[in-house]
Amino acid sequence: MKDGIGMNEFLDLDALWKVLVTSLVAGVGLATLFSLALVGLSSGRVSGRAGAGACLLLVAAGIGLGLYTMLAA
Amino acid sequence: MDADTLLLAVVVATALVFDFTNGFHDTANAMATSIATGALGPRAAVTLSAALNFAGAFLSLEVAATIATGIVETGAITLTVVFAGLVGGLAWNLLTWYFGIPSSSSHALIGGVVGATLIAAGTSAIKIGEIVGKVLLPAVLAPLTAIAVATLGTYLVYRLTRSVPERARERGFRLGQIGSASLVSLAHGTNDAQKTMGVITLAMIAAGTLGEDAGTPLWVIVASAAAIALGTYVGGWRVIRTLGKGLTDIETPQGFAAESSSAAVIFASSHFGFPLSTTHVCTGSVVGAGLGKRLAQVRWGLAVRMGAAWLVTLPAAAAVGALAWAGASSIGGVLGVGVVFAAALLLSGLLYLAARRRPVHAGNVNDEWSGGLVPARL
Repeated sequence: MKDGIGMNEFLDLDALWKVLVTSLVAGVGLATLFSLALVGLSSGRVSGRAGAGACLLLVAAGIGLGLYTMLAA
Repeated sequence: MDADTLLLAVVVATALVFDFTNGFHDTANAMATSIATGALGPRAAVTLSAALNFAGAFLSLEVAATIATGIVETGAITLTVVFAGLVGGLAWNLLTWYFGIPSSSSHALIGGVVGATLIAAGTSAIKIGEIVGKVLLPAVLAPLTAIAVATLGTYLVYRLTRSVPERARERGFRLGQIGSASLVSLAHGTNDAQKTMGVITLAMIAAGTLGEDAGTPLWVIVASAAAIALGTYVGGWRVIRTLGKGLTDIETPQGFAAESSSAAVIFASSHFGFPLSTTHVCTGSVVGAGLGKRLAQVRWGLAVRMGAAWLVTLPAAAAVGALAWAGASSIGGVLGVGVVFAAALLLSGLLYLAARRRPVHAGNVNDEWSGGLVPARL
């Protein structure tokens, strides 16, 4: 790159890293919480079911937040 | 009806046809993995996706006119340029559908508009930096981001649920997959129907039938929503087959992780204003789902062909856009646009007939992948 012409000229690096981190947290988090919910449900214990319910609530909240942030953008 | 109104009508019709192809080209993004794993039957999947695309189109009315104005000088945009740009995007959408290649409709439209503007107004009307920043670099970054998220997600999903009985796991992830695929469909309707709304609004402003600060008319919103939903319902089975069966063999936990990854990346990119193609994200997620499962196989030859098609999207659509503009301008007026429109319809019809000879449909879309797009059972 010549002087004064960096990646920032073409690319919003600030937005890029935010997208990367948010995607990782949300995408992996959603998959993890749902998996833990399945583990809890299949455990057959009351505490497992309660934990599963909490995980599914968090998944629903995450989906709601995702929809809200997309529409607010 | 005067000549200008007739010209505008042809442009609006072309925009709605483009919207329709956008729908059937991109059904795969949300539903390919759900169809491949059997979480949803093929017909149920496209019906659900169509309904959510329709609803999504009404959720946000922030018109995405920047699809064209951000990359070329606004003064260079005429009705003929918009028309030629749409023809370029349309041609690329249909060609990639025929070969079953998932490809970005936004990038195809941008390519068409760039090609038409280039030949109509010269290189000074093109914003090269914007094209690099909003099209070329994101085309590389979108799949890489999705691959990273889906690989990690898939690994964790298998790791965490290894103690869950197979049947319970299968049933659970099927339900989860329907939810995450629905989210992707809704996001697709919200983002992609706006492209057509933006283009039609832009055409109406260029024709002087709408003021520069006017909002999008209700009929434009309804027509765009209906066109993308109808296209989605028709189902681009060729692209669905490539994405669901060709890239890797998908199980329900992988499908769930892939769709969750896609939804997360699309929502994040919308929120932070970093434009990523839904198609590139969803394709990257499917590759990531293949990488994240131990011993799963990704068919890299097919993935490389897709990557090559993405790199060619812009210049190929630009070439058609430029050709369409030159054809329409050489004849001139409404007649020129009408002739190009008729030629585009004729070529589209021929491509459709060619596809009918070796069809992929709801009945054979899930057949075993044996190296080629068209299954042995027609």
